[in-house]
Amino acid sequence: MRGNRLFPAVKAYLHVPCNVRLHDRVVALLVVFFIALLGCTQPSTMENGSTVVFKHGKIAGDPAHLRALLDEFERRNPGIRVKDEALPASTDEQHQFYVINLEGKSADFDVLSMDVIWVPEFARAGWLRDLSHLLPPEARDEFFPGPVEADCYAGRMYAVPWYIDAGLLYYRSDLLLRHGLKVPRTWPALVAAAQHVMEREPGIYGFIWQGRQYEGLVCNVLEVARSNGGEVLKDGRCVIDSRQNAEALRFMRDLIARYGVTPPLVTTAIEETTRHIFGSGRALFMRNWPYAWNLFQREGSAVRGRIGVAPLPSFPGRPSASTLGGWQLGVNRHSNHAEAAEKLVAFLTSPDTQKRLALTIGYKPTRKSLYADADLRREQPFIAGLYDIFMHAGPRPVTPYYMMITQVMQSEFSAAVSGIRPAAEALLSARRQIDHILEAER
Amino acid sequence: MTARDRENGLPFVLPAVILLAFLTIYPVLYVLYLSLQRRLLIFGISRFCGLENYIFLLGDGRFWNALKNTVYFTTFSVSLELLLGLSIALLLNRDFAAKGLVRAVVLVPWAIPTVVSARMWEWIYNTDFGILNTLLGQKINWLGSPDWAMHAAIAMDVWKTTPFVVILLLAGLQVIPRDLYRAARVDGAGRWQTFRKITLPLLKPVILVVLIFRTLDAFRIFDAVYVLTGGGPANTTETLSIYAYKVLFQTLQFGYGSALAVVVFLCVGAISVVYVRILSRGVKL
Repeated sequence: MRGNRLFPAVKAYLHVPCNVRLHDRVVALLVVFFIALLGCTQPSTMENGSTVVFKHGKIAGDPAHLRALLDEFERRNPGIRVKDEALPASTDEQHQFYVINLEGKSADFDVLSMDVIWVPEFARAGWLRDLSHLLPPEARDEFFPGPVEADCYAGRMYAVPWYIDAGLLYYRSDLLLRHGLKVPRTWPALVAAAQHVMEREPGIYGFIWQGRQYEGLVCNVLEVARSNGGEVLKDGRCVIDSRQNAEALRFMRDLIARYGVTPPLVTTAIEETTRHIFGSGRALFMRNWPYAWNLFQREGSAVRGRIGVAPLPSFPGRPSASTLGGWQLGVNRHSNHAEAAEKLVAFLTSPDTQKRLALTIGYKPTRKSLYADADLRREQPFIAGLYDIFMHAGPRPVTPYYMMITQVMQSEFSAAVSGIRPAAEALLSARRQIDHILEAER
Repeated sequence: MTARDRENGLPFVLPAVILLAFLTIYPVLYVLYLSLQRRLLIFGISRFCGLENYIFLLGDGRFWNALKNTVYFTTFSVSLELLLGLSIALLLNRDFAAKGLVRAVVLVPWAIPTVVSARMWEWIYNTDFGILNTLLGQKINWLGSPDWAMHAAIAMDVWKTTPFVVILLLAGLQVIPRDLYRAARVDGAGRWQTFRKITLPLLKPVILVVLIFRTLDAFRIFDAVYVLTGGGPANTTETLSIYAYKVLFQTLQFGYGSALAVVVFLCVGAISVVYVRILSRGVKL
């Protein structure tokens, strides 16, 4: 077939009389190339089946591990090719990319990885394919409850949990041991331990966390609030100005202004800021995501072998409450290869793939059973120990309005934490604004 | 220019006019149209709502806060840049060894991409490891305290854009004929008098051009501040452009976001008109 296409052009070229100028020969040659190219590209998509485009954030670690898995998928599914394309590192930019392209009904990508907070929004907008049949109710029980809740909108599943994250308390085991202290289970105990150590170890910060005006601040505040029984939305109504939330937010300001265990610099801190400080051995406690663990335990790290992790403390008599993070896989509603795309989602979220991602890149599986897996427990004892924390990790408010609500929370929480407004006042202002947002549809 | 020239010229400028209309006028009109809509992407809501967005804007505390921040930022950054830029330009206008090298070095901050320099300043301002606090021997929370954050952003902008002002003013200074200075010296004018009576009046057109460029740029400031503080703490560094970006691309309220963009556009237009008025009065470009 390719030959047939090529021949007339080749013949045409060969029959060009020799007295033709070089310029024309070059043009004729280019025409031949162009036709040959057509011959090469067109049939490849038709004969070899579909190409699924998989968009995802930057892979934390060697991207070759992911590619190896995708190659295996291609081997198992002859006729399907997978093209994986990384998006910009910042989640805001990824969100923006998806919004613009999905709203424009782009079919340029088929499978997309989404932050846990986007799924209801994208589902509500009608941008995602209903994947309920991939996750029948009995299969949902195999996953942690938090991500399943976050991927469910109006009773249907619009994404499958890929990997999971949750807030943790990192502590310096050597310092606690030296001062005869236990890992704190409650916030008052954390304050007492931090003050005790700070008095005796000059230059050490007590407790650092992420307080810059951004999504991370919301994660931090909601953890403390939920560990006091606070909520943002209840039965579709905003209850952010509750007494529990006010106490929690005031406590976070007090950590800085009253107890002095948290340095004011946290009001500009993101995850990496705090990781650098803790990693250089200058803080006793830190709130962060699991990713920091492997970096601390690397060769040459100042805190290697001197740290531990625990569930975040809570207020006395309440359970610990981590904020849920992590990424979800969904299928573009306008994909032209929906069936192949669904196969890829099923493959990437399968127990085998999740196990291999955990062993290579360190992505934490969303399937509960893997935490009992012998290989994983041996190779990654750290991950295996996170089971309880992931079981109790709660999603941020699961609502299509989330991106609007978080804008309000970010600025009001920031006001309270940096001491511009008292906590109760900030929360009241937040409730008024969120009420206004929730009225948008009515 | 004769009437015939005009007629003949039309076909030549037409392609440019059509291109400009397509690239600028159409989007501007489209944003105006969007701003009269209640448009929420995720809910599939898209209906005409008249001036509802603008009425909401009048009562939106976050908008007024952003406007206040923007005006504050613009006023102080532009004045400082002009003062500093003029001083440096006057210094560089003298004859000294390695003149070319120094002039090139001055341009470095301007040549660094904004996002890169914002990240750099984020480290300079870092409370714990930052060089600024190390030099001062302090633990000032530059970017995290409501009192400092805006000033830290202004300082960064001054560092970044003063070179631009310097280069424009230097070009203006070099056009001033040397004879005028010689004549002034013969007349016995002092340095200050020479500056007041010769340099400043002859530099005025360039100063106004610099002011237009800088004011409009500063009023639309986005990337530098967004990278440095993200608008925080508690929106104390949130400028109009940052607010519009958040409303448009993070919360997807295209109608209200467009209304914000239109307001920025109107402010910028008003500033331009004022400057052009001043320019056309007595000063010829």
